[in-house]
Amino acid sequence: MKTRGYLFVCVLLTGIAAFAAPAAAHTPLFSCFDNGDGTIFCEGGFSDGSSAAGTPILVKDGSGAVLLKTELTRNSEVELEKPAGAYTVVFDGGDGHQIEISGSQIFE
Amino acid sequence: MKRFWLIAVVLTLLVGSPALAHYQLLYTPLTALERGGEMLLKLVFTHPFEGGHTMDMAPVQEFYVVHQRGEEGEPRKTDLKEHLKQITWTSQGHAGKAYEARLPARIVRSMGDYVFVLVPGPYYEPADEEYIQQFTKLMLNVGGVPGNWHQPLGLPAEIVPLDKPYANWTGGIFRGVVMADGKPVPNAELEIEYLNYTPDMEKNAFAGKPKIEAPHPAFETIGIRANNRGEFAIGLPKAGWWGIAALGVGESEFDGKPVAREAVLWVQVTDLP
Repeated sequence: MKTRGYLFVCVLLTGIAAFAAPAAAHTPLFSCFDNGDGTIFCEGGFSDGSSAAGTPILVKDGSGAVLLKTELTRNSEVELEKPAGAYTVVFDGGDGHQIEISGSQIFE
Repeated sequence: MKRFWLIAVVLTLLVGSPALAHYQLLYTPLTALERGGEMLLKLVFTHPFEGGHTMDMAPVQEFYVVHQRGEEGEPRKTDLKEHLKQITWTSQGHAGKAYEARLPARIVRSMGDYVFVLVPGPYYEPADEEYIQQFTKLMLNVGGVPGNWHQPLGLPAEIVPLDKPYANWTGGIFRGVVMADGKPVPNAELEIEYLNYTPDMEKNAFAGKPKIEAPHPAFETIGIRANNRGEFAIGLPKAGWWGIAALGVGESEFDGKPVAREAVLWVQVTDLP
């Protein structure tokens, strides 16, 4: 029974390691630029080349209030209306995978 | 006396042979970019180690970039020939016809890999009584999201990297596969040269002094062979640019004379901070 117990723990840990490895091995990447026509273009991805499709994207105003919630398309990109005043765009890829870009850093 | 001339000819051939290592240079100062933007590229047919004779480039046949963001991204091809402008490139005591391309920000803006392909017109080499045509690739990345850096493009002569050409530390190794029309070329002959003079982007010239002195001609142009699957690996002992040329990858004909098809790939190496 003791041996079977160890075996179960080993299998469990191996399973966790196997599933956890990809998440630990890549870094989220996010970039936005100003299209110059009142819209901004944002794109996301991961350092291993995997897709960021479906990742939630938040647009917040200067006080942190959420103005818009959307997600990256199948091509891991999204076009947004450029808010008036100060704003931030957030790539919300979950714990450890969040990236914020200030509107002041989004250029043409 | 006969013996003297025989020795002189042999020595000339031995010492002179590295000068025959022609490389189509396709250059921009940095290939791992945090952000995209306007770009300036120089296209020079030269000898990168000795920085000497600059050969007159024939009109460019093809010049384009294939961009892909992510492994599952869709590759997008953009023709760049409209951005080419003829320039004169000055090397050590010599000048020749070359080209530059000023690309607007919209071309290299998005994250991902950008694979630049240059197919120059065939260059006639009188010594060999044949033309040379070097299918040249330069790769850069914006933002760190990889894409198509390892994808063959099916060129008649091509070096397909097995390591990212824009992300190499000094002291690392670089691997690749020599291909013709998308198929490996067994036992391909390769030459490796270090870009020994910094290209001056404003003056269209190789700047000042060489970065390294070779102890022997065999170190100027390093000759290696691929294995029977067309694969090769080289060391990267110094930061800067290393040019890899695969010779005799294929043959075609131009103006009634044979054309030796060759493949060139440029690799940028960075020192640890």
